[in-house]
Amino acid sequence: MDFRLGPKAAEVRREIRAFLAENFSEEDRKEAARDGGGHNWELYQKLAANGWVSAGWPEEMGGGGRDPYEILTLYWELCKAGFPWIGLLNNGFIGHTLMAMGTEQQKKELVPKIASGEIAFALGYTEPGSGSDVAGARTQATRDGDDWILDGQKMWTTTAHTAQYIFMLTRTSTQDRPHRGLTIFIVPTDAEGVDIQPIHTMGGERSNGVYLTKVRVPDANRVGEVDKAWSVLMFALGLEQAMGYADLQERFIENAGRWALETGADGARPFDDPRVKEQLGQTAIHAEVSRLLRHRSTWLAAEGRALGGKGAMTKSFSGTSYLEDAQAFMDLVGPAGLLDEDTEGAIAGGNFDEAFRQTPVNTIYGGTVEILRSIVAETELGLPKSR
Amino acid sequence: MDLSLDESQQILVDTFSEMLEKECPTTHVRDCEASGFSPRLWDQYCELGANVMGLPEAAGGLEMSLLELGLVATRSGHALAPVPFVEIATTGRMLAALGEDDPLIEEIVAGKPCVTLAPPRPHAVPGTTQTAGGRVLVPFGAIAEHVIALEGDALFVASDAASRRSAHVHDLGGGALAHWDLSHDASASIRTLAEGEAATPAFARAGAEWKLLTAFWLVGIAQRSLAIGAAYARDRIQFGVPIGGFQAIAHPLAECAIRVDGAELLCWEAAWADTEDPDRFGMLASMAFVWASQTAIRTADISLHTHGGYGFSTEYDIQLYYRRARALSSIGASSREELQTVAELCFDRDGSGSSEFLLGGA
Repeated sequence: MDFRLGPKAAEVRREIRAFLAENFSEEDRKEAARDGGGHNWELYQKLAANGWVSAGWPEEMGGGGRDPYEILTLYWELCKAGFPWIGLLNNGFIGHTLMAMGTEQQKKELVPKIASGEIAFALGYTEPGSGSDVAGARTQATRDGDDWILDGQKMWTTTAHTAQYIFMLTRTSTQDRPHRGLTIFIVPTDAEGVDIQPIHTMGGERSNGVYLTKVRVPDANRVGEVDKAWSVLMFALGLEQAMGYADLQERFIENAGRWALETGADGARPFDDPRVKEQLGQTAIHAEVSRLLRHRSTWLAAEGRALGGKGAMTKSFSGTSYLEDAQAFMDLVGPAGLLDEDTEGAIAGGNFDEAFRQTPVNTIYGGTVEILRSIVAETELGLPKSR
Repeated sequence: MDLSLDESQQILVDTFSEMLEKECPTTHVRDCEASGFSPRLWDQYCELGANVMGLPEAAGGLEMSLLELGLVATRSGHALAPVPFVEIATTGRMLAALGEDDPLIEEIVAGKPCVTLAPPRPHAVPGTTQTAGGRVLVPFGAIAEHVIALEGDALFVASDAASRRSAHVHDLGGGALAHWDLSHDASASIRTLAEGEAATPAFARAGAEWKLLTAFWLVGIAQRSLAIGAAYARDRIQFGVPIGGFQAIAHPLAECAIRVDGAELLCWEAAWADTEDPDRFGMLASMAFVWASQTAIRTADISLHTHGGYGFSTEYDIQLYYRRARALSSIGASSREELQTVAELCFDRDGSGSSEFLLGGA
């Protein structure tokens, strides 16, 4: 038994921390929070130049061949620092998928540009009428000679407003069961008929809705076989579920701990109150359990073992416990918890307010806890399918 | 990273599983509810070396790690074994660390369930630290002849059970509790083990080991409770279908499955940290105790509820688990008071307010 991530991960931690110290200032962090788009081209290209976009791809595909512990550490450090990392995550995955499933032309023309940070993709899965039921996608793709015509609407297409392409899930057949009629296309965001509109969230994110009206896409932009996109989709969702928010939970409990140990404006120290100590203890336990579940998912991936419901466990626990803790601290701290970091009198760097606004979505996107619990019930407890 | 058991650890698990399946069915647990102790089962434990597993080789022990002791505790929790495995392991290791020639070690090696401890409760709610007549409720205090305790900075063994120990006290968990007079007086029945600077860390260490092994035991209770509840949800038909197909039944069980896995990982990590990340050991042991307590209580509760009215009847096994999950979480220290210890060890372990936080890990 060994709970260490190992020396390579430790080296990545040093490297990313050094990168952040050099390139990501406190002002950059605040700008990323204000912008909320999850992607910053200048910073992204610096990471790409150091090989981080393609870091997790196999070496034989021209990737960095980094192991899952190194990739875990990369995102851990970026998340804790408040770095806008969503573009990196999506493109690491999409480049990897294109390498594995794309056409020769896509591998030759697009993949090197993804790796170098020249181009970026957004993920276009979710629709107004299909969130949890992702196989219910209705955006239509209709064959027209060597082209396809796309009509429909996407929701929560984060980074679409800064990306050149969208990795777009479409309906190409209604003959079989819903998940057997889906096809993925690469759609340029500047194609005629693509209209991108902002969606702003309570958590400060800027996402997008994307309207597609008679968008013409050549068949060469199709990824994988017609009607067979389901496996691509499952791979992406599995990836997201196995992550969770343990890194952000660690940042939160660090901020809460520092706040508790400082003497407040009234001359007293929160840590000396048993109620505060109890909550710190509980939140520290939640953070540790989240970290362990995420490490286990990473270990299973590194060993090439089946994840089963373990990925779903990671995200479900992390999402619910972080939300619970964010609310619990607000219950404790009174009015100062309501202030954001730039407001006079803010405590814990505004993290109580920030977490309270941001954590509700953690139990929703990338698989709601209801979907995740059903996965756990079926795969880990052998209960019947419940939806 | 390696989160698997090695071959010898797996053999250890299998050996105890097989023995317990044969020797400790829940009918036997029920038979022992009145006394809280099974001499016959304890003999089986000793035959497998359980009494000396944690002792150093020089003291006649098997020098097994806390992880290995913990694996046995988890199997014991599965079976609700009425034996003082955790108390004997913890006190034996403490006595051996203080001096290998302590006379009680000889008795432990001989298989006598002779000694237990009164775990430390630094954050006990005022008014709850003593029971009637200034005494203390002690786990397995009804069968042990000696109790190790700390008063001030004196670590001592209290003996003379005839005068210091009450009759067996029946409790919610069907344990072997008794009230003990643990005043550190000048009588011949008090033998001081350590005083001053050596005493407090030695007892804190033993307390941490007791909490961690109890956490392992609670994980066993939680795992078995979950398995019982899931099996019932698969088999029980209402409205023409298995009730496990209803999300209102399935999701609470799934949430427990997640927490139980987390509790097991946390126990394993704490045991591993004993030798590999020693700065975090005490904190992780406290965390494991709290989380395993919360998880076992919740899981037994959800599983009982899954049974509907049957779960409430004494005929069904789940009520045995429901009561013991609570009892084990309360007998040493309340899981809630322990949260404050977690916070102190994590954020302010030297009391200066400036120690490095112990989050993250190796």
